[in-house]
Amino acid sequence: MPQTALDLDHICRNYGPVVAVDDVSLTVAKGEFVTLLGPSGAGKTSTLRLIGGFESIDSGAIGLNGGRVDHLPPYLRDTATIFQSGALFPHKTVAENVAFGLRMRRIAKADIAVRVAEALAVVRLQGLEDRYPDQLSGGQKQRVALARSMAVRPAILLFDEPLSALDLSLRLQLRSEIKRLHDEIGFSAIYVTHDQGEAMAMSDRVAVMRSGKIEQTDCPETVFNAAANEFIHTFVGETCCLTFRIEGGRGVDPATGTLDLHLAQPLPDGAYRLYLRPSQPSLGQAAQAMPNRVIARLGFVAFLGEKYRHHLMAGPCEIVGDQPGALTAESGADALIGWDSSAMRIFQ
Amino acid sequence: MSDALRAPRIGPRLLRAIAAVFTLSLVAYILIPVLVTLAMSFSGAAQLRFPIRSWSLGWYAEFAASPQWTGALINSLIIATGTAVMSSVAGVAAAYAYTRYTLRFSTLLYVLLMLPLFMPGIVLGLGVALTFSRFSIGGYSLLGSHLLVMIAHSLWAMPLVFLLMEAVFRMIDRRVIEAAQDLGCPPLRTFFEIEVPMISTGLISSLLFAFVISLNEFVMVLFLTDRDTQTLPVLMWLGLRSAATPQIAVASVVISLSVFACLSLIMVWYVRQLRKITR
Repeated sequence: MPQTALDLDHICRNYGPVVAVDDVSLTVAKGEFVTLLGPSGAGKTSTLRLIGGFESIDSGAIGLNGGRVDHLPPYLRDTATIFQSGALFPHKTVAENVAFGLRMRRIAKADIAVRVAEALAVVRLQGLEDRYPDQLSGGQKQRVALARSMAVRPAILLFDEPLSALDLSLRLQLRSEIKRLHDEIGFSAIYVTHDQGEAMAMSDRVAVMRSGKIEQTDCPETVFNAAANEFIHTFVGETCCLTFRIEGGRGVDPATGTLDLHLAQPLPDGAYRLYLRPSQPSLGQAAQAMPNRVIARLGFVAFLGEKYRHHLMAGPCEIVGDQPGALTAESGADALIGWDSSAMRIFQ
Repeated sequence: MSDALRAPRIGPRLLRAIAAVFTLSLVAYILIPVLVTLAMSFSGAAQLRFPIRSWSLGWYAEFAASPQWTGALINSLIIATGTAVMSSVAGVAAAYAYTRYTLRFSTLLYVLLMLPLFMPGIVLGLGVALTFSRFSIGGYSLLGSHLLVMIAHSLWAMPLVFLLMEAVFRMIDRRVIEAAQDLGCPPLRTFFEIEVPMISTGLISSLLFAFVISLNEFVMVLFLTDRDTQTLPVLMWLGLRSAATPQIAVASVVISLSVFACLSLIMVWYVRQLRKITR
């Protein structure tokens, strides 16, 4: 039995002069949950539609469970997509929707009934079998879509931003439910999203896309902590950026010519961008002990519930720092920002 | 109070009265011809004449007993049904292709499809008559046949069906179609099992619209039919030129009622669909 559920081998797709999918290679192991993460227009959904067969590839190869499928139409590919809109059949009941794929696979009626009941139980929709889609809430619709796709037990499930049309609390709830289902059932999946929180929370591996290319494929921790490049570092998780030049071993703000910056590791002369995540800097007194420091002006403080978010200006650059308590300094006063060397990423 | 605010010269009450009078006149304008014809059909007189002196259902009985009139009604219904089917098949197929595929010269095609709708009936009818006058199928001359009238009427009905169905197909969520294929349903089966139910309201409206168009049409049937295939409007016209009995009014009522029935059906379906959407 092959251990690879899906194998994308250098696939490409152009729309006229636009390169939507540019030499994408990716393998998904059996039972693996891989997320395609990227800003809109990065080619995530295009890639998914190539796998599903709704568009055809210009070059490359797509393998599903070890067999090549890129010449097959969608109805002969063993994939099942969960669309953003749910795309339920409006004139069929919930049970009929879930049974549809099984009927197409010519499964015996009695078995269909069992598997429909199973699938609806898994997504916790028992009792709604006879409802029509327009009698369901947004969250329920997506559960039906999920049940409909899972019921056919495809080689791979394709999620096309299934939660992005839902409100936040529902999104979080369904996110953990999909995660739970994956842990219980162990289906193979590709999940397309532009929400990095979703990608981090659910995935075994994250593939970050930009301009039709995959820029990094790694486990969520590695993508977050050791991004392959500046784009990924800024796209995944919140960051703030300090732009400066090093001239004669001193940090210089390119706008004003002054910047009171102290770095533990001296840098050669040149222009740099230094990134910090809001949770990382220490502020005020606590910053004194840190190996890297910069003097900034305190802008304003926002209360976020469990923490206070400090907005500080280091030259023209805004640095954001979260602390359990608010600094006592006045707005406009100088404040010291300090951080560990491991907390920052510097790009030239 | 601000200087800019002044009492209007025409009071709101007067405005409302003007609006009411205007609305009433408009309603009367629309309804009077229909109502007069309806009243005439119940006349007891032997001729179509306006001040009705006596009332009777006699002309309805005459209408039902006359093979000429009932024959014309049956011809009308056959031709209207055929037109409805023919123009719906062609119009739905055209709308499907037009919305689903990227076609070359699609704007030109659109104009071409719409063209017959704006052609005078006399021009279309003449063209069809001249083209098919020598054709015959299995010994039957095409000219004067039901089939030829259906084809001619479809020239008018098909663009309407196309117009309606094009909008319907555009409203369908393409993802639903893709979901069906994604789950293993081949395209043709997807069309009949998934798409047809989704477009059913539009489909039924199309059929009924085409039916009504054909039922009402007079110019083309006038010279495309013969004694055996003539429709109600033709017979009414012939009747007006000779006897002018209230049977003509009865025929008007029959046609009008059929049209009203079709329109009410469309309304019912439309309202049902609206309710589904807004639920």
